[in-house]
Amino acid sequence: MFHRESGYFKTTYRADQALYPLPIARWTVAVFAVLALVLPQLLTVLSGAQSAEYYISIVNFILIAIVGALGLNILVGYTGQISIGHAAFMSVGAYTAANLAVRAGMPFWVTLPAAGLMAAAVGAVVGVPSLRIKGLYLAIATLAAQLIIEWTINHVPWISGGSQASIEIPRPELFGFVLKEHRELYYLFLVVAVLSIVATLNLVRSRIGRAFVAIRDQDIAAEIIGIDIFKYKTLSFAISSFYAGVTGVLYTYLYGVANYENFQITTSIDYLAMIIIGGQGSVLGSIFGATFVTLLPIVIRVFMENVGVFLFTEQELPAVIPAVRLGVFGLLIIVFLVLEPEGLNRLWRNIRSYFRVWPFSY
Amino acid sequence: MDFAFLLIGNGILIGLMYSLIALGFVLVYKATDAINFAQGEFVMLAALISGSVIVGAGLPFWVAVIVALAAMIAFSFALERVVLRPLLGRPIVAVIMATIGLAAILRGLGPFIFGSGTRSITLPVGDEPIEFGPFILQPVQLVGALVSLLFLGAFSWFFLKSRMGVAMRAVADNQQVASAMGINVERYFALAWAMAGIVAALGGIVWGSMLGVDVQVALVGLKVFPVVILGGLDSIPGAVVGGLIVGIVENLAAGYLDPVVGGGTKDFAPYVLMILALMFRPYGMFGKRKIERV
Amino acid sequence: MLRIRLPGAAAIAAGALVLGLALPAAAQKKDIVVGSMCDRTGATQTVGVILCPGANDYAALINSRGGLDGHQLKVIEIDNEYKVPQGMESYERFKKEGAVSVLLYGTPHTMALTAKLTEDKIPGTSPGFGTAAGADGKRYPYLFPIAATYWSQAAAAVKFAKDKFGGNLKGKKIAYLFYDNPAGKEPLVILEDLAKLEGFELKTFAVPAPGVEMGAQVLDIAQRYRADFVITHLFGRSPSVSIKEFKRTGFAMSKVIALVWGSAEADLEAAGGGAVAEGYNTLQFAGVGTDYQVHKDIAEMYKKQGKQPPKEMASTVYYNRGIFHMAVHVEAIRNALKAKNGGAITGEDVKNGMEKIKGVTLGGLMPPLELTPVDHEGGGWVQVFTVKGGKLTKGSDWFRAYPDVLKKHIDADAKRT
Repeated sequence: MFHRESGYFKTTYRADQALYPLPIARWTVAVFAVLALVLPQLLTVLSGAQSAEYYISIVNFILIAIVGALGLNILVGYTGQISIGHAAFMSVGAYTAANLAVRAGMPFWVTLPAAGLMAAAVGAVVGVPSLRIKGLYLAIATLAAQLIIEWTINHVPWISGGSQASIEIPRPELFGFVLKEHRELYYLFLVVAVLSIVATLNLVRSRIGRAFVAIRDQDIAAEIIGIDIFKYKTLSFAISSFYAGVTGVLYTYLYGVANYENFQITTSIDYLAMIIIGGQGSVLGSIFGATFVTLLPIVIRVFMENVGVFLFTEQELPAVIPAVRLGVFGLLIIVFLVLEPEGLNRLWRNIRSYFRVWPFSY
Repeated sequence: MDFAFLLIGNGILIGLMYSLIALGFVLVYKATDAINFAQGEFVMLAALISGSVIVGAGLPFWVAVIVALAAMIAFSFALERVVLRPLLGRPIVAVIMATIGLAAILRGLGPFIFGSGTRSITLPVGDEPIEFGPFILQPVQLVGALVSLLFLGAFSWFFLKSRMGVAMRAVADNQQVASAMGINVERYFALAWAMAGIVAALGGIVWGSMLGVDVQVALVGLKVFPVVILGGLDSIPGAVVGGLIVGIVENLAAGYLDPVVGGGTKDFAPYVLMILALMFRPYGMFGKRKIERV
Repeated sequence: MLRIRLPGAAAIAAGALVLGLALPAAAQKKDIVVGSMCDRTGATQTVGVILCPGANDYAALINSRGGLDGHQLKVIEIDNEYKVPQGMESYERFKKEGAVSVLLYGTPHTMALTAKLTEDKIPGTSPGFGTAAGADGKRYPYLFPIAATYWSQAAAAVKFAKDKFGGNLKGKKIAYLFYDNPAGKEPLVILEDLAKLEGFELKTFAVPAPGVEMGAQVLDIAQRYRADFVITHLFGRSPSVSIKEFKRTGFAMSKVIALVWGSAEADLEAAGGGAVAEGYNTLQFAGVGTDYQVHKDIAEMYKKQGKQPPKEMASTVYYNRGIFHMAVHVEAIRNALKAKNGGAITGEDVKNGMEKIKGVTLGGLMPPLELTPVDHEGGGWVQVFTVKGGKLTKGSDWFRAYPDVLKKHIDADAKRT
């Protein structure tokens, strides 16, 4: 990731598609892995236990967002099908896990994949109209799916566990050890996020991933060269929803409660923002986007808390900060779209390719 | 049966009020292929502006109408120029996201600039319900419906008969050919946005006086989608017919479906209907069928 | 609206930012940190923009009088746009800053933090939202609804109707017009129970989000069902829409009572001003109006700073709820400090302090709250304010209703899990 090649030497597709293009890449990944494993301890040493817990909580939100963003990117970025209903599949996952955990006493390593599969099944159904409906019409159809799923959860007590539509779920437990604090839950989220990243990297360079890209670029042409459009579009919806379902479960374990009100349209839109800012059709872009969208409000707030005191009175400041935060958030989305359509990932690639031949550019 | 009539009457009025919002959406899509997810926030902005003119500055109603119109036209112009023109020809998800970003800006800064408290603006027609046979009507809704129909007439005439309207249709049909024929495409894009600004300004005043002026006016934006999809994204009469269908279906669902299923189906029924309709007519009832080529 | 001081202070500002980021703002030793979740930009922003300043002003008032036992209150307000992840993040931030208690906001947020509060031993208050089961102090030791829950409100609304009909509801038709979300559906169980108990007929009318239109539901209530009385439980913009529709159908506003989130000046204003809603009844869990000593004190405090009292004060329903919300924390901290005799207090101390709150009234702005380790609702008191002459005027004293029915349901809910 951070290594620097001295030029372009690849001569085969295999080399181009390799996960580790150079031996040094293995080392970078290894260093990252070690860093990730000791992150809570590292932060504790650097800033004390109390602050470390806070920073880890932010990392946790980023990790969860990465899983969801990867899923949405498979559908939107790789397959070119717009969805504004991503959050609904998180609900499906959340309630599946909560019901399994509470009614059947299932541990998280069962509920997690089970919820993913349930969400995938629902996602595949929602994906069926994509064969006939395209573009904006499809986007609105997914919005409809979101509303229908919300409505169903809200009105079927068998799913939602009563009129409050919330199910309290016990904390995840592994070998008798209960994961409660953010620093403990961190490892669960880390493992799931890493698995998702690796799975996505391998998916997109497989036959399936190439079929997705072919459909995105020109679906009629893809059909002519023998790609079963219906199969792959539905599959894309299912895979994407699987990730969303898992994301929903992670949120549920974090909050200790499954509640569909956590997964409404605003959540879907946040995730769309992530992949657009990060970069569509890119794994690294999903990671960048998830990080960026999670951190942005926090950074703006810290900035305003420190700078705003010079410009506004104490009474005004609480009203100013949210307004600025929302304004800057919207502005950045637009700036990105106008100036760097391919998002943060492209920015990163530009930097890398600049340094690839630096300082002897030709 | 009487009750059903009343419900349908309700639905027609409220449906035309929805059309008023949807018209702006359709106008922009028809001419520029851009999708405005900030339509609700546009209406909110117009409502906030007229609210601060009437309540904040204490000026008469007609001043508010003029200010709102001028401000919304200027705003739409600027928006087209700064944000949407650079996004021309980009995938629709980019435009969707840009307008979502715009919505965030408007929701953040709109109340910050024009005041966040709830205010009421009253149309010159007053608040007293008007009786009309068995129907009792809210004057606001009546005005909204009339404005909506007026726009329908005006825009239909504009697109069918006026020179500019025909040129705009040509632009919508094929930008390259239109510009080869000597039509200034960018000018027509700006014009389309300005027209959307006019619709949003009046929509904002009507909805603002119906709901009260604050950020929550933006919620009506959610009602646009089933309306435009049912009618077809690029059809002016479609927006009106779509609005009517949604209004009537909503009311009948609330009256007859709710007691059966024991939950609010009002918001949800139009979406279900919309999906069913899409399965048979993927481009809406009046939408233009796109022919795809490799 | 905003005065920008020293536009040329950019350099200082940048310097301060560097400093501020380098040294995380460490709370001074004597400050007591209270976290305040707020929504000034999201789905419920019309509430937040009034309620949060009310809470902040009360804390400032306490500080201007020398704080609590010499400690200044440091209220950290963080807006979360009514998004749960952001709200959760703000809670962790409060924790990092050493908050001893948290003012929660929003039902989904309250649910998402319920488990965490207990694990971290930090008391959180959720007046007017959260779940009714939260009143059970044994089950949720660190969650404090502190005000009448939706269950208590529904019971009180039925009691109000009963008094209106001369103490007998037999055979009467009561319509329940509610926002079709979990919070809106919560009182249903109580209403159904009371319908059996009091012998009235109950019919429900759901208003799905976003609730900008409810012609059909109100028409149904007024002309098909012909209800004798209506209880409304609506949020956001829908209360004002319901008022307009009741007016249109000619339904007498005096036969309508709104639970606490359909009862503010903003709702009347949005419906076209107080005159439109003449007769409309509202339930309140804090006093309404500015005739309380605390308002004079806050105005005095602003005057000393050479400022006008804030314009938010005019919207008294939410502003007073903000005062009430903060006042409970102030009292709890006061009790905690007393118990610790000046020692450093923790969240657990504040929780114990909260459970000792009794007889604090703020001149009638607060209900006769009595929090105990068992009852975190504090009795479930409400007051009715009725629109008269375009203004919310006091229609009843603090009262509560059917405590035994409520208790039965709270206990039953505790057994459920």
